[in-house]
Amino acid sequence: MNTIANDIRFGIRMLWKHRLASLVCILALGLGMGATAAIFSMAEAFLLHPIPIPDVSRIVALVDTRPQENILSNAVAPATYLEWQQQAKSFEQMGAYGWHEVNLTGDSAPQRIAGFDVTANFFALLGVQPALGRGFLPEEGEPGKNQLLILSNGLWQGRFASDPAILGKTVKVDGKTFSIVGVMGKGFTFPQPVEAWMPMTLTDNEKFDRQSRYIWAFGRLRPGVSNAQAAAEMATLAQRQAHAFPDIYKGWRLRVMPLREFAAGDLTRQYTILLLGAVAFVLLIACADVANVQFARITGRQKELAVRAALGAGRVRIVRQLLIESILLSFGGAAFGLVFARWQLAVMMQHMPPEVAKYVAGWYTIHLDAGAFAFTLCLAVFSGIISGIAPALLTSRTNVGETLKESGRGSSTGRARHRLRSALVVAEVALSLVLLVGAGLLIKGFHALLTVNNASHPESLLSLSMQLPELKYQQPATLLSFQQRLLQRLSAIPHVQSAALVTSVPYSDGGGIGLRTISIAGRATAVHQDQPVAILETISSNYFAMMNIALRDGRLFSDSDGESTPPVAVISATLAARYFPGLNPLGRKVKVGAADGPASWLTVVGIVDDLHYDWIDKNYLPTLYRLYQQSPQNWTSVLLRTDGSPLSFLPAVRAEIAAVDPDLPIFDAKPFDQVITQSILGIAYVAAMMGGIGIIALILASVGVYGVMSYSVSERTHEIGIRMAMGASGSQIQRLVVGNGMLLTVIGIAIGLPIALAMAFGLSSLLFGVTANDPVSFVGLPLLLAAVAFLASYIPARRVLRVDPLHALRYE
Amino acid sequence: MDANATLIKMEGVKKVFYTDEVETHALEEIHLEIKKGQYISIAGPSGCGKSTLLSILGLLDSPSGGAYWLNGQPVAELTTSERTRIRNREIGFIFQAFNLIGDLTVYENVELPLTYRGTSAAERKQKVQSALERVGMAHRLRHYPSQLSGGQQQRVAVARALVGDPLILMADEPTGNLDSKNGEAVMELLRDLHRNGATICMVTHDQRYANFADRSIHLFDGRIVEESQEAAVSA
Repeated sequence: MNTIANDIRFGIRMLWKHRLASLVCILALGLGMGATAAIFSMAEAFLLHPIPIPDVSRIVALVDTRPQENILSNAVAPATYLEWQQQAKSFEQMGAYGWHEVNLTGDSAPQRIAGFDVTANFFALLGVQPALGRGFLPEEGEPGKNQLLILSNGLWQGRFASDPAILGKTVKVDGKTFSIVGVMGKGFTFPQPVEAWMPMTLTDNEKFDRQSRYIWAFGRLRPGVSNAQAAAEMATLAQRQAHAFPDIYKGWRLRVMPLREFAAGDLTRQYTILLLGAVAFVLLIACADVANVQFARITGRQKELAVRAALGAGRVRIVRQLLIESILLSFGGAAFGLVFARWQLAVMMQHMPPEVAKYVAGWYTIHLDAGAFAFTLCLAVFSGIISGIAPALLTSRTNVGETLKESGRGSSTGRARHRLRSALVVAEVALSLVLLVGAGLLIKGFHALLTVNNASHPESLLSLSMQLPELKYQQPATLLSFQQRLLQRLSAIPHVQSAALVTSVPYSDGGGIGLRTISIAGRATAVHQDQPVAILETISSNYFAMMNIALRDGRLFSDSDGESTPPVAVISATLAARYFPGLNPLGRKVKVGAADGPASWLTVVGIVDDLHYDWIDKNYLPTLYRLYQQSPQNWTSVLLRTDGSPLSFLPAVRAEIAAVDPDLPIFDAKPFDQVITQSILGIAYVAAMMGGIGIIALILASVGVYGVMSYSVSERTHEIGIRMAMGASGSQIQRLVVGNGMLLTVIGIAIGLPIALAMAFGLSSLLFGVTANDPVSFVGLPLLLAAVAFLASYIPARRVLRVDPLHALRYE
Repeated sequence: MDANATLIKMEGVKKVFYTDEVETHALEEIHLEIKKGQYISIAGPSGCGKSTLLSILGLLDSPSGGAYWLNGQPVAELTTSERTRIRNREIGFIFQAFNLIGDLTVYENVELPLTYRGTSAAERKQKVQSALERVGMAHRLRHYPSQLSGGQQQRVAVARALVGDPLILMADEPTGNLDSKNGEAVMELLRDLHRNGATICMVTHDQRYANFADRSIHLFDGRIVEESQEAAVSA
């Protein structure tokens, strides 16, 4: 122990003595470890504790998947869930929830909130209780007894000013009176992004519904039952259902997944793992840098190490001492890395808009905690060993007798060292290229998403949404009257060019948009699941002009189309191509829902260009447009084309809406370009982080090339002197040095390119706008790396010009 | 151990270096015996194999052939770690270039062999103090080598060689980097140590200093060509 203390003391002394080299190492390792610690903290928040629920490992989500359509988790229908609940033996309890956004009125300004209908056992099953009040009682799941509300802590604070006497107060929820019975504790936000919970009530019809998939089911495992056992039982139940109702369940497969994994989401997990891989690469590059510095430093201490060996220090002891120095260096890097990580996380948290953060499970729990601290310490030990082991082992093999001679030089280990250092630089360049290409592709994908709908000039469009309460707007005529008055008033606002209605603007709701089943007249579909699907947009006739959606064939909606004229539809080019291949869809009839359903048949009168709706899906989605006068809907969005900054029109818009219905809340009011940006903000973060990681990798790789070339020049001073004495010019020697540096770089690029290409194929399946044959990434970035490496070789090569052959020949 | 017991015995030791398929015979058929308490000098022209022989004697290197016993134990074919252990416990080194570690204080330099031996801190302290007193450097404990003159540095190196009570001191040109005054002083120090019972094996090409030893061997082209028994030179 005492001798370890001696080694530590001496190590600190040595690091202090070589302050500049130590600082470079600490900075390199700090960048690597800081990036890793920051991403680890995110991964911890997203993957390990995305939801603050005790004993969460015993709770599983029961979701449906359709692997052939890349649907990894889907809700189930009420009848499916109820059968599971009655028959499954693996669970102590099974519960469910479903989205139910509502308008909150009656107490203050109308507000649209993210509500969820939950089964009465929801809170008990999760093992959480409200901080104020109570959870729901079993009987409160029955119709007529369910007008109760539990508030999230955020809503209680924001809307009700943390009123301690809130319990028992009433509010209007979509026009109906609800009593507040509880307030949840701070931080409980399951399901994300909940603001209020209401009891779930199923009507008799709904209890037998196997087709409307809006129930998210989950269950707490019985003690002693494993995930696998529960999955096996559920698979049997699902199979039984599929046999009984093959039309409905064909193609669907049940997936039993840990609730933690479900809450994190598949995409979050994929991107987090991608980032973890990227920072691991950065850390390896930093370790290679430090190993190179250590080689140079230890080479200068050959004699000291030989003396130690002569005095009885065994190889293990010398390696131990060198590793202690290396680990000390890593601890310095870890300290800097933790500060760097803290800064990164602060910047990230600061720039994330709350309206986006609320959708990311675990976002608000991101911080550098004890776990991250312990992880960084482990990283420090690991990095210290990784970066120090090769120099320590090679140096400890030195011939002691030779080294102790006044001019002794261990030539064989010198060559091995040189080869290893060159290999490290090659590896650094290869890893950096992979990271740079990954970053380049992600940034390009993000840019493609950002500009995909540019034709609509989103910067001058204002978008907002509203839900007309069913109680007040029960009759289609009332709805229509409201919407027509609204459009008239909004269009009359000075500097508003036009106002249009549409169900949902592209990229709203985070880019996720539901597809509806449609039927085509004269075409029977044997199986329910084989029915065509499309995004359903109910619009005003000026929507196409406002969004600059070009007509391809037929006609657009006109003023002559109305409530009393035959119902018509316009379809997108993708819908036409997918469901009418080789046919002319004009004049054909389509219907929303089943062919024998209550909706009217619509005659297709036009085909228009596609809009991109979903950042996850690379392909355009089929879209069916119908006219709002012919199918008035309670839920609608409004778009306004303005002459100025869209947000500056918001007060006037609010006033006009309030003039028509003072109790109607509007929500998601923002410029359309902001709708797009915010929906892809997650990708922006990933792209920005990958960009940052790529830049760090580039810097570290160039430091590596510089270090090796610089050391090589010092090491070869004698040889350079001989060459110069023989008549070599300074530029010839420079070419020799730069040539060596570039050779290593080219080898690194040659190794890195195929790896980057393989990664690009993976990324291209993940994200819109990313292609595996992107010339900028595969030609431009290697050239950039080569240019930086050239510079890093050229700077030490310039020192050659200062070499005095006479002095160099004396140099040993 | 018997005062006249054989400490070192070499029979037919040879050393061959291979460099790019060229064989260099550094030592040939070395037969040598050193008894406890002897002060032996190895002399010869540059490149005759003096330092190679000292390296093998000091277990810094191993012979290519022949047999070598140190204190009765065959050591020619020991593993690296066994050689390291014996070097640490039974041999003390004094180098021409002192080979003190510049980043350690005088105290720490002298302490080093004991640290590798696993000696307790208290014992180390006592032994280091004693060794430094023997060479007259106890007042420079906290100095770094760069703060000392060449002669002082070599005295510290002698203290480091002595501190572990080795069976034999191996000195490789101990005065080579010193002026004549400091060189004389170091030679006096070695002679005092010898008078107090130390076994010393010294490489030198300086005949004046070779005469300090009570026995000299001369090497030429890797062979012992002459051996003489000298009367110790008086101060």
